[in-house]
Amino acid sequence: MLLADYLVGIDVGGTFTDFVSYNSETRAVDVWKILSTPHDPNEGILGGLGRFDAPSDIRNIRLGTTVATNAILERKGATVAYVTTEGFRDIPFIQRGNRRSHYDITWIKPKPLVKRRHCYEINERIMSDGTVHVPLDEDGVRAVARSIREDGSIEAVAVNFLFSYVTPEHERRAKEILEEELPDIPVSISYDVLPKWKEYERASTTIADAYVKPVVNAQVANLRERFTEGGVTDQAVVIKSNGGEMTLEAAQRTPIQMTVSGPTGGVIAGKHVAKLSGISHLVTLDMGGTSTDTSTIVGGQENFTTDYEVEFGVPIQIPMIDIRTIGAGGGSIAWIDKGGMLRVGPESAGANPGPACYGGGGERPAVTDANLLLGRINPDNFLGGEMALDVAAAEKAIASVAGPLGRTPEETALAIVQIANNNMVGALRSVLIERGLDPRDFALLAFGGAGPLHAADLMNDAGIPSGIIPNYPGQFSAFGFILTDARVDVQRTVQMTSKRFDQARASEVMGALIETGIAELKAQGYVENIEIYRSLEMRYLGQNYELEIPVAFDTFTDETTPKVWQAFHDMHLARFGFNIPREVIEVITVKATVVSLTEKPDLATIGKAEGAAEAVATRSVVFDDGRHETPIYNRADLRDGHAIAGPAIIEEPVSVTVLRPGQPMRVDQYGNLLMGRIAEES
Amino acid sequence: MSQRPDVDMVAMSIIDSTMTAVCREMGIVLMKTSYSTIFNEALDFTCALASPEGEMIAQAEFCPSMIGGVPLLVRSCVKEIPLETLEPGDVICHNDPYRGGLHCPEHTLIKPVFVDDELMGFAMTIGHLQEIGGMVPGAFAGEATEIFHEGIRVPPVKIKSAGEDVEEVWKLLLANVRTPRYNYGDLRALIAGVDVGERGLANLIRKYGKDQFRQNVQDLMDYSESRMRAEIGAIADGVYRFQDQVEDDGIESKPYTIKVAVHIQGDEVVIDYSGTSRQALGPINATLGVSYSAAYNGMLHVTDETIPKNSGCFRPIRVVSPPGTMLNVDYPAPEVGGNTETHCKIAGAVIGALAPALPDRTMAAEGATHTNFVFGGTDPESGEAFVCYAIELAGWGGRSFADGNDATDSINGNCRVVPVEVFETRFPFRTESYILVQDSGGAGEKRGGLSTQRTIKSIKTEITGSQMSDRHRNRPWGLHGGQPGGLAGTWHQQANTTSWHMIDEAFGKASPSKWSNVRIRPGDSIRFQTPGGGGWGDPRKRPREQVVEDLAEGYISASSARENYGLDGAAEAAE
Repeated sequence: MLLADYLVGIDVGGTFTDFVSYNSETRAVDVWKILSTPHDPNEGILGGLGRFDAPSDIRNIRLGTTVATNAILERKGATVAYVTTEGFRDIPFIQRGNRRSHYDITWIKPKPLVKRRHCYEINERIMSDGTVHVPLDEDGVRAVARSIREDGSIEAVAVNFLFSYVTPEHERRAKEILEEELPDIPVSISYDVLPKWKEYERASTTIADAYVKPVVNAQVANLRERFTEGGVTDQAVVIKSNGGEMTLEAAQRTPIQMTVSGPTGGVIAGKHVAKLSGISHLVTLDMGGTSTDTSTIVGGQENFTTDYEVEFGVPIQIPMIDIRTIGAGGGSIAWIDKGGMLRVGPESAGANPGPACYGGGGERPAVTDANLLLGRINPDNFLGGEMALDVAAAEKAIASVAGPLGRTPEETALAIVQIANNNMVGALRSVLIERGLDPRDFALLAFGGAGPLHAADLMNDAGIPSGIIPNYPGQFSAFGFILTDARVDVQRTVQMTSKRFDQARASEVMGALIETGIAELKAQGYVENIEIYRSLEMRYLGQNYELEIPVAFDTFTDETTPKVWQAFHDMHLARFGFNIPREVIEVITVKATVVSLTEKPDLATIGKAEGAAEAVATRSVVFDDGRHETPIYNRADLRDGHAIAGPAIIEEPVSVTVLRPGQPMRVDQYGNLLMGRIAEES
Repeated sequence: MSQRPDVDMVAMSIIDSTMTAVCREMGIVLMKTSYSTIFNEALDFTCALASPEGEMIAQAEFCPSMIGGVPLLVRSCVKEIPLETLEPGDVICHNDPYRGGLHCPEHTLIKPVFVDDELMGFAMTIGHLQEIGGMVPGAFAGEATEIFHEGIRVPPVKIKSAGEDVEEVWKLLLANVRTPRYNYGDLRALIAGVDVGERGLANLIRKYGKDQFRQNVQDLMDYSESRMRAEIGAIADGVYRFQDQVEDDGIESKPYTIKVAVHIQGDEVVIDYSGTSRQALGPINATLGVSYSAAYNGMLHVTDETIPKNSGCFRPIRVVSPPGTMLNVDYPAPEVGGNTETHCKIAGAVIGALAPALPDRTMAAEGATHTNFVFGGTDPESGEAFVCYAIELAGWGGRSFADGNDATDSINGNCRVVPVEVFETRFPFRTESYILVQDSGGAGEKRGGLSTQRTIKSIKTEITGSQMSDRHRNRPWGLHGGQPGGLAGTWHQQANTTSWHMIDEAFGKASPSKWSNVRIRPGDSIRFQTPGGGGWGDPRKRPREQVVEDLAEGYISASSARENYGLDGAAEAAE
């Protein structure tokens, strides 16, 4: 008898917890979802794992979770003490001083995740060149520890000294002392969390790390206990915002790394699909009920950023996959503004009451209601037929805005979809154009419950010639989790110029970073299949934002260094349309990424098509150019090589794919739906 | 409200959001490629699209002081460079306040957008260059008495012609400034921005066709106009008056009064500045462009912020500003501070005037100064000249529904403060402290926002500094019984001494807030304090738990809790 051997990806979302399992013996992939249990997310996780007859068959669990993000958004984290350089305790309160919107007199500046009375100052000072102007006052640190102990309410400490990204010794020593004096209180130092310049952004990120630490610690400990009780493997990892995995212990040490955990799965899965399909440039679109995430894969690689704000003015600048979120989804509500203009979102009907057609009491029209009215969604086959949709309620809701607009409900429904699409096109453009990428070189990978519904229109509107609807579009992020690698990003600010570039020092820093990365992975048990990526962040001397230039070697020499400068000039031209060939270049950061590749599932292929695909029904569906009697296909019936030309609708349990009139589609050997130009290539 | 039946509201909405997205893309290129910290950290720039007639058809929200000037800027450019002489690939550069500009540091780059050889509009970037020559490094000469003191004037000239750099113009521009390498980088960034705008607008027009685009853009401006009229129409008819002061002009120690009469007449408004002081000798004057922008800015703050921002918004607003006054200055008076210090007081006065009519849409005075400290010197290691324009944040006013925001940029900007770590990496100062000022928020049922205080010490080389600020003598006003916010101040401490002196005392200047070319030697320190926001409502009505919390957080002192808020046992609560 074969032993079952499962790899399980779990994505804990706001409404649903998604599960994907891969049986490495049979190569079978299974997907399921259950309602999330926000009061106790672990309950949902254990509940979903109840599907296994023998929990001991699970070899490895990969978990994406929003526990850290939710603690911040709901302001339910720890009471934090902030310890900083004398004269600067107000940095978290002063922030940067700009407003979310110019003319909004009602705007209220965000409060930091720390009280001002819990901010402490230490006499110490490091200068911008890393020299020590005032040595660390160790007695002062001990005095602060005493105050914290006496206060009694403090649950975590965040330390952030000026210029610690250049010279971290003061922060490290302060941490030692605080841990000695306060053995039960976790301490986060900015050098560990974000060793980068700009004190407010670093403060905000370090405070957030401390703020979520006790919450994450408790939840991870609880999860471990329940795994043990339930006889589930302790081989569980958490997905980081950079798309890599880390052990539960590592998650407890730097919980802020998992802020954007869930959405990364879709990008990782997209990267895998791209590789299997031989596509190098992808733009991903994950459209759910309330929001849409977009990201890019260029040359087979995902893009990273440290520009992230959990809400306006509250930056969390950890390395993460560059995913842009906009408030547009199937639940986005259409409304008429004071001037009579039709608008869609950002308000969402959410899961409760949901769009009018859910019959949950929603009376305002959502994008899903519009899709239903246009015939794009089948009222009798939503969520695999588990939920009957109320067409009359959708019609009534749409009519409520059609009247003032002076249009028919059908015209209005089409307009709602067009405006929602335009909002998403804006997001797609922003991830591409901002980086100087041409939409015509890309394929759109659409998933999430609503992504496949809109993909055809979005390809058309954004000028993206090809599209892919992957398998399991409704659980695609969880699917991505069974494909992740262990990944550590390390960086160090150096500040040198091309005029006075110390090649020995740069080589030494790079070497040290790589060693750190390898050691960190080793400590988590990852020692095999190591890959290393190196890069430099640089800019013209005087600029303030860097471009990241990949570097293919360990040692900077008279031969290799000039290639780096040339690569920068070239990339500046490509991104911004100009460069300054004789200008001095400033190197700010040396970066290294160390990846331990994990074993990937060997995905099964589907059978070859025999004969043409057969429609299961036809239905009248509205497109931009009018109504078409449209054939309906069942995705489960489609096989490798089946080709269909739009108009057509392809239904599956958690999603619907729409093909515009004339648009070609072909099924590939894994069951992906290839649309547009890519469908016509062999 | 009903719309004309033939208006395609859907296409209009899509065109509006696409044009706004194009403007945002322009801004991102500017932020990422520019050299000056006032650009890339502070974001003191604007990106806009205009019609061939000069109407602003879209903008992205970066710096609001500039948008009201867009129509005037385009018109003054095409007056001197006729439309028919424009070619694809041309870029016009312009900064002259006496030709529609706002003040000399602000350089406007304009690129015509052609589709099939037909001029369809303009892409524009407006950015603050931190150094433009003139009598002080950084342009804000607090003691200027002529426009010529404030830096190079650039009438509309082509900086690029048919895609090629006009070398003579570049040479002339760069020969007249202290930091040519920086100016070159910033101008290149501004040009990269209009290039992005040109491509984005042309693509949009090609997609919809010229006729539909033109129609939709007209409809869009009509739409904004109708929204604005509806907002104004909802305000009770009447004349609402208010006044504020600029405390001095840097030359003479006497205040200048800004008078505002807001006439609400049905769905239109006339903002009349009659009675305002004669124009000043010093640089606090506003050109007509600045006065228009400020009136628009005030009205945009009290109306629905979701109205698409284009020239249509401005149609129901008319401005009366008698010539020869500080709000419609005659050539060749100086005016660099009009755009930063006077603009915000005009806009604030419009808001203050409407406070009785719109109690929930207005607020008490914000600090209304950017503190504008400019300085320059020579880097002892590289020998290269450096210049910096630094702004500071002030307190915002209390509102019926919330306290004033602490440490926020003034109403005519939306700039970010430059991080200490960026500042010290670039410039030879050490920051000794950067704090919120206790009790600087005007007491009120809704407290005014707190101001900031920064202390910096020169550590390497001699630095020449100048300042253009205000509210060192006049406190920001409260509303409905709220108390005024705290005063601003600038102090100097000589190397190896311990006492602080106001700048005017230390250097024999006429004004504490507007001064030029003070020599800051290694070891000398300067301290900048900004004004706090005015309070809203009677402080005695502030809920006790909020007073106790303010005390615990150190926003107010025990004596303020006792005296202003009437908190019993304030000293015990502080424990």
